[in-house]
Order: sequence, then C-alpha cells, then structure tokens
Amino acid sequence: MAAKQRGDLLQGTLDMLVLKALQLEPMHGWGITERIEQWSEHVLQLGQGTLYPAVYRLERQGLIKSEWRTTENNRRARYYWLTATGRKQFSEELNHWERLSRAVNLVLQAQNV
Amino acid sequence: MLIEWWRRLMRAFRRSELENGLDEEIEFHIERQIEKNLRLGLHPEEARRRAMLRFGGIERTRESTRDELRLPVLDDLSRDLRYGLRSLIRAPGFAVVSILTLGLGIGAATAVFSVAYGVLVRPLPYPESDRIMSLQQVDKSVRQTNVSEANFRDWQAQSRSYSAMAMIAPQGYVSVAGKVEPSRSWVTAVSREFFDVMQVRPVVGRGFVAEEQVVNGRPAVIVSDAYWKQYLGGTTDFSNQTLTIGNHVYHVVGVMPPGFDYPNQTAIWGSTELNEPRPSRTAHNFRALARLADHATVESAKAELSRISRALKAQYRDQIWMDDGMVVPLQQEVTARARSPLLVLMVASGLLLVIACANVFNLQLVRAGARRRELAVRLAIGASRGRVARQLLAESAVLCISGGVLGVLLTYWGIRTLLSLQPSGLPQTVDVSVNGVVLAFAVGVSATNALILGVATAYQSSGRDLRASLVEGTRTVAGGAAQKRVRDALVVMQVALTLILLTGAGLLTRSFLTLLAVDPGYRIDRALVIDLELPYPRDGATAAQQTRFRDELMNQLRRLPGVTGVGGINDFPLGGTWYANGQFIEMTRPDELTSWDDYRKLKPEDLKQRAALAGFRVASEDYFQVMGIPLIRGRLFQPTDGPDAPHVAVISQALAKLKWPNQDPIGRFIQFGNMDGDLRAFRIVGIVGDVREISLERAPEPLFYGSARQRSGAATSFSIVVGGTDAAAANLAAQQMVRQLDPQLPVVVRTFQEKVDRTLSGRRFSLTLIGVFGSAALILATMGLYGVISYVVAQRTREIGIRIALGASARSLVSVVVGRGATLALVGIAIGLAAALTLTRLLEGLLFGVTAADPIALASVIGLIASAVIVASYLPARRALRVAPIITLRSD
Repeated sequence: MAAKQRGDLLQGTLDMLVLKALQLEPMHGWGITERIEQWSEHVLQLGQGTLYPAVYRLERQGLIKSEWRTTENNRRARYYWLTATGRKQFSEELNHWERLSRAVNLVLQAQNV
Repeated sequence: MLIEWWRRLMRAFRRSELENGLDEEIEFHIERQIEKNLRLGLHPEEARRRAMLRFGGIERTRESTRDELRLPVLDDLSRDLRYGLRSLIRAPGFAVVSILTLGLGIGAATAVFSVAYGVLVRPLPYPESDRIMSLQQVDKSVRQTNVSEANFRDWQAQSRSYSAMAMIAPQGYVSVAGKVEPSRSWVTAVSREFFDVMQVRPVVGRGFVAEEQVVNGRPAVIVSDAYWKQYLGGTTDFSNQTLTIGNHVYHVVGVMPPGFDYPNQTAIWGSTELNEPRPSRTAHNFRALARLADHATVESAKAELSRISRALKAQYRDQIWMDDGMVVPLQQEVTARARSPLLVLMVASGLLLVIACANVFNLQLVRAGARRRELAVRLAIGASRGRVARQLLAESAVLCISGGVLGVLLTYWGIRTLLSLQPSGLPQTVDVSVNGVVLAFAVGVSATNALILGVATAYQSSGRDLRASLVEGTRTVAGGAAQKRVRDALVVMQVALTLILLTGAGLLTRSFLTLLAVDPGYRIDRALVIDLELPYPRDGATAAQQTRFRDELMNQLRRLPGVTGVGGINDFPLGGTWYANGQFIEMTRPDELTSWDDYRKLKPEDLKQRAALAGFRVASEDYFQVMGIPLIRGRLFQPTDGPDAPHVAVISQALAKLKWPNQDPIGRFIQFGNMDGDLRAFRIVGIVGDVREISLERAPEPLFYGSARQRSGAATSFSIVVGGTDAAAANLAAQQMVRQLDPQLPVVVRTFQEKVDRTLSGRRFSLTLIGVFGSAALILATMGLYGVISYVVAQRTREIGIRIALGASARSLVSVVVGRGATLALVGIAIGLAAALTLTRLLEGLLFGVTAADPIALASVIGLIASAVIVASYLPARRALRVAPIITLRSD
C-alpha cells in the first residue's frame, strides 16, 4: 500500500526499467531495485520481490544473462547483464514508450476544450 | 520459438538447482537491504523488519518466479489431457464405443502395414542388399526369364557394371539321404561367385574350395541352418558328414547363417561347376544374380545388359531365344507377386480406418450437441476459444491414444492370424513383426487421427453465438442446419466407402467361386498324392529297376481299402510354377533323327516350321483314368507299351489344335529327345482332354505325355495319385509301403484337396481380409446411420407425437423416417458406385472370370447396404411410434 502514495508501476513497465537499469553495467538483483529507486527519485519503490519473476522472465526471453560472481565484500551474488537482443529490445521499447507517453501527455494537457 | 521451448525444457529439468539459487539470491538481497537500513541508523531489528516489508512476500516471490520457469504449454497439456480424460470418464459409453472403433481401424491398418512392410519394404537380409540385381533374359514369344549358360558367360565377359555375377540352378525338391533321416529338400546349385554376390559366407565350417568347384571335383555341399539343426543335429564335426543326393555322395562342409533363405526354401547349396559346362544357348536352366559395382547404377546396368543382349541376338539370330536383357533389383523380384494383393489390402484397411474415424466423429458431434451448453458456459466465464478448442483436441487425443494402444494390441494378435492364413504364398514372412517402424506407423496414424478428429470437432463447436447456446436450454438439443449437413455428409461418405470395400470383397468372392467352379480338366474327388524323387538312372538296369519299384508300389497301393485306381506322372498339376516345357520336332519318318548330328543338319527355316513348344510329361497307363482326364480320340498307354516296344505318346487337345489344326495328329512321329536325352521317336497314339496345369487360373497349356514305362529316365520325379480315398489311415499305410520298399527314399503324402488348397491360399488370404474389412465397414456404417436416424427421430419426437395425436398413420410416419435414411443411403451408394468403378481397377490382377464392373457383385453389395440402411432407419422409427403421444407432448 505504501507504493500507492508514491507511484504504481504500469503493467509491463518493470521489464523495461530492469533493462534500463542494466544498460550501464552488470548488476545483482538488489542493485537493480536500488538503481530504479534512485533514478526515480524514490517515487518508484517497487515491492522488491516482484523484481525476481521479471528478471527470470527476461532471462528466459534471452534479453539478459546471469552468472554467479563474487562481490567486492566477498559475497556470492548473481549478476545480470544485457544481451545484444536485450539492448535492441530496450531501444525499441523506449521508442514505443516515448511516443506513447508523449501522446498521453498531449491528451492530458490539451487546453482548448 | 523452438529454441525458446528447448531452453525452458532444459530449465524445467534444472529447476531445483535454480530454485536453490533463487533462495540464495533472495537472502543476499534482504541482507543488503538490512545493511543499507543499518547505515541509515536504524535499530537492527527495525532494519530487518523494514527490509522484509520492502521485499514483500518471500513465498509469493518464489511462487511467481517458479511460474516463470515452468513450461506453460506442458502444464496446459497435462491439464488438458486430464480434462479430456475426465470428460470421457463422464461419458463411458461414448468413450468405449469410440475407442473400440478406433482400435479396430488402427489395428487393421497397422497389421496390414506390418505385413506389407516386412514383405515389401524391409531390405533383404544381405549386406547392401539393394545392390543385388536379378539379370533376366527377355524373349518376346515365351514367358520365361531364365538364362542359358552360354548367354550368361557372354554377359559375364562383356559387362563392366558388376563386382560379381553368379549363376543359380534350383533343382527343386530332391531326395536327400545317407546317414541322415531321408528328406525331400530343396537343393540349389550355385556358381562360385554366388557367395560374393550375396556377401554371405558359411558361419559354421567353411565355404567351397577350388577342388570342389571344378568338373568332376570333390562333391561338397553347404546346408542351411534349419537343415543343419533338424537333420545333422547341429554338429560341428563335418569330417564324416555326407549326404546322398541323386547318384552322388556329397561332403557337408559348411552351414549358412540362420535366416539365409535364397533361393526361397533352399536347404542345400551345391556347386554348378561340378558338372560339364552346357554350351547350349537355349537350355534356359539358370537364374542370374549380380552385385552392382560401386561405380554402377541400376540404370547404367540396365542399359549395358540390354546393349549386350541385343548384340548377342544380332550375332546368333535364330540360335538364341533372347531379344533383350533386363535388370531387376532382387528385392523387387522376390516380392513381385505379393505386391499387388498387399497394396489392395493397404487401401482396404485405409478405407476401414476412414470409416471408423468418421463414426467416432459422428459420435463426437452428437456429444457436441449435448455439450454445447457446457462449452458455452466455459466460454462465458472467460476461457478463450483457443483454449476450449485445445481441450477438445486433447479429448480426441486421449481417444486416439487409447485407440492406438488397443490397435497395437490387436496388431500383435492380427499378425499371427494373417500369417497363419498364408503360410506359403508370401516371401520373407519371418521378418514380419511389430517393430519400431510399425509402432511409428501406429503412432503416426493415431496422431493424425487425433488431429483431424480434434480440429474437426473444435471447428464444429466453435464460432457459435454464445447467448443462443446458453438460452437454447434443454428443450431441444438439435444442432443447427450446418451441423446437420455435416452429419449427413458423414453418413453419405461412410455408405460410399463401405460400398467400395464391399465391392472389392464381392469381386474377390465372385472370383473365388468362379475359380472353384472352373473345369480343371480332371475330375477327382478324394485322392492321395505321393511325391517321390528317385535318383537319375545311371544305366538301363537301374532304369528297369526303378520301373519295377514304381510298378510294385502302385500295385500295393491298389490293394488299400477304398482305392479305385492308381496312376502316376512326373509333374503333377497345380504344382505352382514348375513347368517343364521344351521344343519338339515333327519328323517325316521314325528314323529321321537318330543322333544329335542329325539335329544339327536341319535347316533353321525347316526347324522353325516343324518345331513346337509343349510341356513334357511322362505318365503311367492308369494316370488318365484315375485323374478323370477324358480320352478324346485314339488310345491311351497299354501294358504292352514296354521299354522295347515302339515309343508312343498322347497329346492334349490344346497341343493338337496348336500344331496340327485341321489335321490328324494320330500316327505322326515326333522327336522330343532334348527333354530327357532319349532320341527314340514317339508315335502319337491318342488325344486327351486339356488340364489346368500351373494353377486353376491359368488356361491349359499344350501338353505332351510319354509313357513312364518307356521313358523311365524322365520319371525320376514322380507323383503317384491314389484315387478313391484320402483317409489318414490310407495316408499312413502308403508311407509305410514306400518305407518298406526303400528305406532311404523320403516320401511326402498329401491329400489332393491339400494340393488344391495350396494353390488357392494366396487368393483365400486376400479374400478373407477384404471380407473381414468389408463386414467391419458395413457394421460401422450401419451404426453411423442408425445414430443419425435415432438422433433425428429423438429431435422430432414432439412432432411425431403431435402427428399421431392428429391421427397420422404409423405407416406414413415410418416411411417419413425411413425415407430420410434411404435418401442419404442412395446418395452414398451413387457416390460409392462411381468411386468403386475406378478403384476396383486396382483389383484387376486379382480377379478371375469377372470384370471389375461385375453387375452381380455390384447388385448384391447394393442390396446388402440397402437392407442395412432399412434396418438402421426402421428401428428408431418404430421406437418413436411406441411412445404414447401424451408423453411426447409433455416431454420437457
């Protein structure tokens, strides 16, 4: 319920956000949730658990890959990174999103009724 | 898409590993969050609480992540199959009838396929057997494919297409004795290249060595695995193992591997090279086999052999009876005779399968009508149409899988039955079994069935107006007009297909009856036939001794109770393919040709005019009376026609017409020395009736009979007919008599009926199967029609009730209902008739004495179907009439 005040995720956007988060470097699950939270200026605070079905789904679709690595603190963690297909998919989705959000904005901000 | 599935499938197996990983990941995640909260200055307990809160339900996360890992299709499939199974269990009657019907169809198709595959398709059991070719002579005028040794040698010297080329001379059933139990075994002489062509060697002992493959060399034989086990006790010590065949004693040197059976049924292989080469170009005593060299193809080999053969013809002209040469893959040659009946049976079982499938589809439709509401409810509460369709598909899959399993079980049983119906006629039946290919066929047939059935059912029940289906309620269960049309079409199709099958069965039955009624030229009811094989007489004394032996045996046989007469002949009718014929020459006077030199002096054109082809037989005096072969003119053999009296002959009517049309053959002299090496002239003394020699189907061939007493040498192979009895006791007594006269002589006694049955067995096989398929089809089609009419009647119960209440006569109502069935049947019959007239051409080779459009067969089939239709329509109609009008009116 906490999320309600801050901002609910549109269905399907989580996948896109995960791809975006991984665009710069490989990251583990917690890192992804942290990054999304930071970038959204703490508006998007997803239930962190919902991340995992999403990354497993993305991996199954071949958009990301994963590997167990050791963190700087010598802990074992699974790191995810984007595949070439994943990059392509992300840029397509980004385009789509931009057109869609622009269109929605235009409608909502229309002045002349 | 496929890769995606594969990944998921792999992951599904690795699931537990991944799930462990997930737990570790979640743990790691929460720890990091706690660390962060601690850094923010929270109390450790509060830090943990908030971290857990931020993460959300761990169990739910696990659950939904796991869902992502699963193969949704597999899960859905098992769910659909379970659903299909449940819905079938709810309708056990429907399920049982459908599964039985499908099992019958699939079983019949699979059983016939397994025989066809084992016999026609499966490679022969020799290395690279597709490279083995049968080389045949082609002669425009004579139906024969054997090769003469001289021609073979020329082929061998001039061809480049083969790595090895062998001559094979089947000797037929020959008496084999010695230190073993005497037997009549199939002996084949082969040339040394035979083992290279087949690429099979003895597995016990050794092959022939050089000294066993030269003229007058050391006589040696190689035996089959079966002969070795039965007669030689499976011994591996061949040092003292000999067999007496004819006048020679042969050493056993080797045993061929089990299953090696070429030529068919051979028990003993000897060497052709032990005999002098036969320079004759027209002594067609050999079959030729060759193995293609690596560089050659069947086509190139064909072209080459044809070129060589035509060049030989150009060179030798009248001295050679070969117009061309032909190359046939051995497999094709071995299976040639079985091909056409098996193809017919494949088609027949295929038709039966289609009828079975149509019946099940019909039942599905009846159910679909009743289930419309159920499906509509499912759609209304949100199931996608695709999903409902998938469930219907899964249901038919369950049906077809069960039907397939039943079918395979039926096949196991069916193959045994099929093979027991025809122990002799089919080659290679040892290889017929339910193997991988056969199972794959059954699976393929079942899957195709499931797909067609499922898609058709789904298509029929989709695309309807939901609301209408929901509202349709219990009042009527009638399908729409479209569905009615589909069901009508199904019945029409079933009737049509059944008509085709029954027409096939009818034509074969008519052929069989015609064949049984054919006049074979002899009249004999109960008789025993004793087949003997004596060694070739070395000299006059042996010949006389053999004549005494035959006379003594026949005399003793005459004394058996019930015997009306005893006679003998060298080549008994209905022997199948064995047909010893040759060319004789008419002579101007009895001493015109007394040596081979005289023969050669004849001018070719003179020879051509005076020569004719005839089957060469030698018979005892009483043979014609015992067999009931009528004497047309002249006289038969008499006891006074002894070895030293002038040699006499009797000819068949066909030969008289062929050689001496409008002339009197009696009193003419002929020379037939090339058949038995005896150059003494024959004087024709009588003409007898024609007989069907090779089989009942084949028209009588021109026949020549010499006297067995005068031509003892030609009577080494001798069949004695004991007329008047075929009792088992007489059979035993006859065997006893032969054994007492000559303990070394193997003897086979059969009843005459057995001989006839053997020639009919192939025909009986096809007829029985098509008959069974046809009856099954008739039952299924009748059931289908009955279902449709019952359904229509049930639908119109109210209408019928009202009509009765209003005073309509029962008769008029019955005629309305039956009329509907009759209309459907008539359309089906019309379509089926058209199709049958085309399809039964397939049968033409199997027919005898009837045409494919035989009106009697067609009329009786139509009559049969029409009566089935009337029964199928009348029963439901009568049931409807029995219901009191008041009940029908009140019903729902």
